[in-house]
Amino acid sequence: MGTLRERVIFWYGCNAVRHGDIIHSAIELLRAVGIDSDPAGGPAYCCGTAKDGNLAAAAGMAARTVEKFNASGRDKVVTWCPSCHRHAGTFMEGVNPAKFEVSHIIEMLHARRHLLAPRLTHAVERRVVLHVHSGFHEVDAYPLVADLLRLIPGLELVVADFAAPGHMCSALAAVPAALKDVQRQSVAFCATHGSDTLVTAFHACQRLLCGLATTDGIKVVNYVNLLVEAMGLTPPPDEYAEWKNAGSEAAIMEKIGAERIAKIGPEFFAKQMLPELRKLPEKQ
Amino acid sequence: MKTETEQLLGYIERNIARTLADCTTCGKCFEACPMTQYSDKLKGKSGSEVVAGIRGILEGTGGTPEALEWTRLCTQSARCIPACPENVNPMLMMRLSRITSLGSTGGPAMLADGKRDPNFFRRINAFSALQFSDAEIAEWQR
Repeated sequence: MGTLRERVIFWYGCNAVRHGDIIHSAIELLRAVGIDSDPAGGPAYCCGTAKDGNLAAAAGMAARTVEKFNASGRDKVVTWCPSCHRHAGTFMEGVNPAKFEVSHIIEMLHARRHLLAPRLTHAVERRVVLHVHSGFHEVDAYPLVADLLRLIPGLELVVADFAAPGHMCSALAAVPAALKDVQRQSVAFCATHGSDTLVTAFHACQRLLCGLATTDGIKVVNYVNLLVEAMGLTPPPDEYAEWKNAGSEAAIMEKIGAERIAKIGPEFFAKQMLPELRKLPEKQ
Repeated sequence: MKTETEQLLGYIERNIARTLADCTTCGKCFEACPMTQYSDKLKGKSGSEVVAGIRGILEGTGGTPEALEWTRLCTQSARCIPACPENVNPMLMMRLSRITSLGSTGGPAMLADGKRDPNFFRRINAFSALQFSDAEIAEWQR
């Protein structure tokens, strides 16, 4: 008898598109646990949470996104981004009547881990540290991610004994000293536990920590890519991290390639993207 | 029929009213906050006084410099939620304080909006164009 499959919208949010590898791996994992997804994300599906200073924009974005989900005919939306998940359960739910329920992907994968476990047949011989935040109180995400990672043969997991403030590292970006403290604590914790790999649960932590490969020799990987690797598949390359750790503007541009840079416009790339890609975590 | 913006504003006002009704300014949320250590303006300050300033922001009477500073520093750590003995959601209270401080509810803007970046969404779309196929963008992001 075949597994009963479910079809959902996989709402990956806006900023996660910097990490195409994470989104593609997440879709693969949902498929592995019997969930076919209609992916939806980018600014066209913004929840509006970044627009606290412009309520007309926030309201319009939230309304359009809920309208599109309502019109899809799907009765379940699976979130990736903690900001979207939080906003959906508060400001969006309080204003826009929804014809769907919202779950987080970590809950979905954890609830179906009996389907995932038999697929995790390839050993990943590595000692890793799970990077933890305190702020995503709507979902007790980190114990669930730890459970999923413990299904991977060969993987030694150490869970960080400190929870960084915020729901993701991006919340700390406005307080650079706090972000630096979290980066330094993470490096020190890895060293104490003999690990050279930090595992993130969310895209914004991946974005703001992946430069530790250059500054401290710490490889930063998202949990979905470890699970995909354990399935015997080759995870999509973490191109954002490759660019961030390329070492120079010329090396970044060589890795991306002239054709892709031309697609978005060289001037925009140089002014709006290169500075972000060149920015690395601060050392002491 | 209310506009989308009016409906959102109504939601915000209802939550401000609920917060103001329940918060006793005990200051436990401030004491639990891991971010206050990052500001000299907040070191050694009384939680009750800073939270009274937050109430002032929400009531539209202006708040205090310390309350604005705490609002600016809030990273949504959620440590304040279990600290509250009155079952207020102080993290939501701080979000409402931020929305109000930015001038979004009709009062004066008292905080700069660090997220008001005209290229915010253009950058997202550009990064997407680097990593997703045209077909994926057409099907998933429009």
